[in-house]
Amino acid sequence: MNILLIEINPFASTTTPISLGYIAAYLKLNGFGVKILTVGEDMSLSCAGFHELINSFKPAMVGLTAYQRTMLYVKGFARLIKSIDNNIKIIIGGPQATFMPSSAFAKLTDIDYICRSSGEVTVLSVAQAVKNRAPFSDLLGVSYKSTNGDVFDTQELEGFSDLDQYPSAYLNDVFDYSRMREAIMLTSRGCPHHCIYCYTPEAFKHRITFHSIDRVMDEIRWIRKKGVRRLWFADPNISFKPERLIELLDRILSENLELEMWMQTRADLVTKELMKKMKQAGVKTIAFGLESASEQVLTRLGKHLAIEKVVQAIKMAQQQEIEVELFTIFGLPFETFDDAVKTLEFVKKNNVKIMGNTNSQQMQIYFGTHLAGHYKDYNIRPLNTDRPAYISIGSQYETEYIKTSELHEIKNMWRAHSLDGGKRIVS
Amino acid sequence: MIKTAIHKIYVILGKEDKGDLEQLSRTLSGLFSYMNMTSNLYLVAGNLPESMPQVERIRKDVIKFLRENLFARLYLHFVHAIPQTTVKGIDYYFQYYYQYLKRETREFDQEGYVYQEVPRFMLLPVIVPDNRLEPALLITLLDTLKGAFMLPCLYLDRSVFFLAQDKDLLARAEKVYYGDDDSRDPAEIACNMFNGDLLDDSLAMLTSEDRFIPGPCQASLIISAQDGKVYTCMDAFRKNESLTDIYKSNSVDALMTLYYEHGRSKRDCLGCRARIPESFADLPISQGRKQRIGALLCHFGTLCHDAGNDIQAVEKYEQSLKLSSVQEAGHINFRLGLGYTNIGRFDQAVKAFNKAKLTYQSQYYFHFYKGRCYFEMGDYQAALSEFSQALHLKPQQDDLVRILIYAGSCHNSLEEYEKAVVVLEKAGKAAGHVKEIYNALGFSYFQLKNYDKSIKNLLMAVEIDPCSAVDYASLGANYREKGDFDKAIVMYEKALTLDPDMILASENLERLKKRI
Repeated sequence: MNILLIEINPFASTTTPISLGYIAAYLKLNGFGVKILTVGEDMSLSCAGFHELINSFKPAMVGLTAYQRTMLYVKGFARLIKSIDNNIKIIIGGPQATFMPSSAFAKLTDIDYICRSSGEVTVLSVAQAVKNRAPFSDLLGVSYKSTNGDVFDTQELEGFSDLDQYPSAYLNDVFDYSRMREAIMLTSRGCPHHCIYCYTPEAFKHRITFHSIDRVMDEIRWIRKKGVRRLWFADPNISFKPERLIELLDRILSENLELEMWMQTRADLVTKELMKKMKQAGVKTIAFGLESASEQVLTRLGKHLAIEKVVQAIKMAQQQEIEVELFTIFGLPFETFDDAVKTLEFVKKNNVKIMGNTNSQQMQIYFGTHLAGHYKDYNIRPLNTDRPAYISIGSQYETEYIKTSELHEIKNMWRAHSLDGGKRIVS
Repeated sequence: MIKTAIHKIYVILGKEDKGDLEQLSRTLSGLFSYMNMTSNLYLVAGNLPESMPQVERIRKDVIKFLRENLFARLYLHFVHAIPQTTVKGIDYYFQYYYQYLKRETREFDQEGYVYQEVPRFMLLPVIVPDNRLEPALLITLLDTLKGAFMLPCLYLDRSVFFLAQDKDLLARAEKVYYGDDDSRDPAEIACNMFNGDLLDDSLAMLTSEDRFIPGPCQASLIISAQDGKVYTCMDAFRKNESLTDIYKSNSVDALMTLYYEHGRSKRDCLGCRARIPESFADLPISQGRKQRIGALLCHFGTLCHDAGNDIQAVEKYEQSLKLSSVQEAGHINFRLGLGYTNIGRFDQAVKAFNKAKLTYQSQYYFHFYKGRCYFEMGDYQAALSEFSQALHLKPQQDDLVRILIYAGSCHNSLEEYEKAVVVLEKAGKAAGHVKEIYNALGFSYFQLKNYDKSIKNLLMAVEIDPCSAVDYASLGANYREKGDFDKAIVMYEKALTLDPDMILASENLERLKKRI
């Protein structure tokens, strides 16, 4: 049985779809034929071309990654797939799907399942059910629709706490290396913190799980052999265990792998020694989450990070000539216009180039975040109460302290200072 | 492998004919399924009021397709002249044409709002202003269009290049296209717009990659609504090499089969890309943009050089120099020098290298290349001076040997045979078995009358290259001077076997045979 996995982002260049890669590797090792289709702005794909793909690959199931901004496209692809072959089962997963209200699922007529738990194990269980022609039996970690359209939510499913139990997307060759300019690494998953605007801690139940360094090194060696030397570490906090990162960097150095790396972590999880080691091993850019440079805002975000720590981390990186990126957000709870300006001033004052990921963006209220469930407690007023149930508040809100016009003004101020027109890489 | 999707369709509109419009509409509706998820449709009209029925019909077709296909995005650019020059005339245009076209697309603005994304359907008017139109009036129009969620672009032909000086005006345009003449013919406008986009595409690649090798342009179709001809790219359109005629053949699938089978396979895409930047050299674009175009021309020069076409490479470098910044001039002059060297214009090469001196004088290879030019021009003293500077700058091993061989050859040409031997023996120690070293040493020792050493070196040379007639002839000369005429005859005969036209060998052989 064949399964097609699709990642859509028509607004950015195609990147390595690492999460789909893990699922593909897991399905492949369990006997399924898998293909990944990434639809980025640099991908050439027409309706006729997609028809051709479906007719030649003949998937029995298609998985689509859903983000807030791609929901329309997810719906469009689902409709097209069903119009080609109504028997193909469609499952959606990803950030928008995990916590999407079940009531919204009923409105997504062409979608059969929502993956709510660990992607690899959940998608495999659905694939096996579809293969066995018993599409609703023994399912865990999903929402599904019965033949008459009733929505059922099944019990949650636990993923592996030892990430090495998931087969590697790289070592199992699920990606096309000929077009890969940068490999995305995920050496750990999850985040133990409680930032109220973030989806990750909730999705991973405030836990963090790891791959062994041996496994990470096996992947890096393989990627390097395939001719790719740029690595993007998508771990939310790569230095959560500093000694683990040092071991990884030491091994990269000892094997003389000549890598160019991008990493992100919390500003209070770095030291001078660690920065020095990062530089030696080939870390070109490090990104820290600042969110707001206003003390009165930052202290109320559940981030538990002192601005002074961010200043120190920036200096440490700059001393090592590592490029710094700062993730910032405007439109945060309790943030006034002046607070938002303070953040822009902070970035400028600390000589962080306003480009790429340092381009600020308005806070997005996504399903699953603390704010999505408690926005009223923060005096956040959604602007569009008429939106479909599968779309979250996103950026359509005002707060008690900042109006839409002011949010626009802040956005324009950032854009005016941007060196690259304001396009952020990570959303 | 999924077949390439069409990214752009240019429709050159003609006068209204109901039957033709019906066929055009059917063809475009069919082609939408072959278009990329995000694609652009350009409707190029001479006159908007005349083309309005076509624009309106096509807009309706687009809307229908987008309603049925939620994953598709399409930007509709309608290109037209504005003959109006008064406030009243402009207002009329806005009310009766723009507003009217916009009306039915509002559902996509609403959809974009709900899904918090850029609308899937956008109207982008491309205005071709009249030279009597006041800039202030044009600014008002652009502001009004933006206010109505239509992002306006400008197309400036030569008669309105003065508008390019108006920064306020340019700041309001999403994009400015240029025509390099004052033609307002829709076909000419379409070509110039295409060229502008292709240039931008090449410039973007230049920014993102150090050594990009450009492929074909974005997959496009050009449809002339005037005669129904379809072309696979602007190059084919300019050369009138059409793929099919939509007014004669009804099938879109057949059109696309032709497109995939024959369409783009035989076109000189690199040549097309490389030709375009030149035409932008004298347009009223910013200095920064000119400099980037200069860098692009230099890059194309390097690609021509890599492909072995140094004549074209030199042309590109010369054009590049006219546009590039002073800071880049050194690099371009160096490449130009290499290009001139490869086509044998050594005096011009030296001049170009001299202009690159400040940038490259600390590089050994700069002196080596310059020295080679002097060598080829017969100025051996100047060549030696350059080779000596190159040797002081610690060249890489392979290059060290080449420099020493050239230096030895210079000494030989200057009849400084002892100096030549010193340099060439050094080359031999550094390189081991290299035919040119043995050959040159054979010559030096011969001139120094050290025939045994000459013979020893020449024998090494023919061991490496048993087909070297000249080395056999030199061996013949050595044996002759030593009085070993039999061996000399054998060597000359061997030389003539390999090269029967070698006059020196045949004369010597004749003389020796007579002597015996």
